[in-house]
Amino acid sequence: MGRSIKKGPYIDFRLQTKIDVMNGAGKKSVIKTWSRRSTISPDFIGHTFAVHNGNKFIPVYVTENMVGHKLGEFSPTRNFRGHIAKKDKGKR
Amino acid sequence: MQYNDCFQLGHITRTHGTRGEVVIFLDVDFPEDYDELDSVFVEIKGQLVPYFIKNINVQKGSKAIVKFEDINSIEAAMPLINCALFLPEETLDELDGSQFYYHEIIGFKVVDEKLGALGTVTTVYTMSTQDLIAMSYNGNEVLIPVNDDIVLRVDREQKNLHVALPEGLLEVYTEETTTPEDGQEDEQE
Repeated sequence: MGRSIKKGPYIDFRLQTKIDVMNGAGKKSVIKTWSRRSTISPDFIGHTFAVHNGNKFIPVYVTENMVGHKLGEFSPTRNFRGHIAKKDKGKR
Repeated sequence: MQYNDCFQLGHITRTHGTRGEVVIFLDVDFPEDYDELDSVFVEIKGQLVPYFIKNINVQKGSKAIVKFEDINSIEAAMPLINCALFLPEETLDELDGSQFYYHEIIGFKVVDEKLGALGTVTTVYTMSTQDLIAMSYNGNEVLIPVNDDIVLRVDREQKNLHVALPEGLLEVYTEETTTPEDGQEDEQE
């Protein structure tokens, strides 16, 4: 069952405060956080979060289509492997 | 054809039907670009063997149903399962300065707009949510999100990757951090 709409999305208070301060000052520096359960709100767009995955921080650059998801969804906790093999994959 | 001259297109996952068709997984950004593919190299026992495609039908989820020439039964298709597929590297489109393939930036120097040269690209992590470039910086692995606002352009002649790192990203990996204690808030400076 999903969270009640009446309550609104959960965002860690201290995290939200930092975002509000940064948005007010027009600053965009990386914010370290352990709060994987915080929901991404539209205020977060364009900010970069370093979300802890239990081992290290994974940088998450928040875009429009991430709104409504939790920060932890973008910081995998299992081993992830890079690839060097030649593939038709890249930044387009 | 040598491996060095090819890129990996994907692999064969299973057979489809009883007429020798197979399902392939296309490990590419845009599978629809391959809807008129006429041949492919199949890796069999360490050798790249050319196979001609009679019919290809690209499906959702980076899959395609393929009918190879001279493969007309499920028995003939079975040995091809899990075989990797390759194409010659020259079939890849040439990309301009703001675009790049992940395999070509390995070893490139990362140059920040403000901080200058930082380190070299060691690998690229591709995930369903976002891709990350791993950079070796003073013995630490620094992860850089792949995004138009952060990764600006690539200079293939100088082998440089120009980036605009968000303020404080390097400090995340170079400074020691304390973990939050139990019972405290899960968010820290």
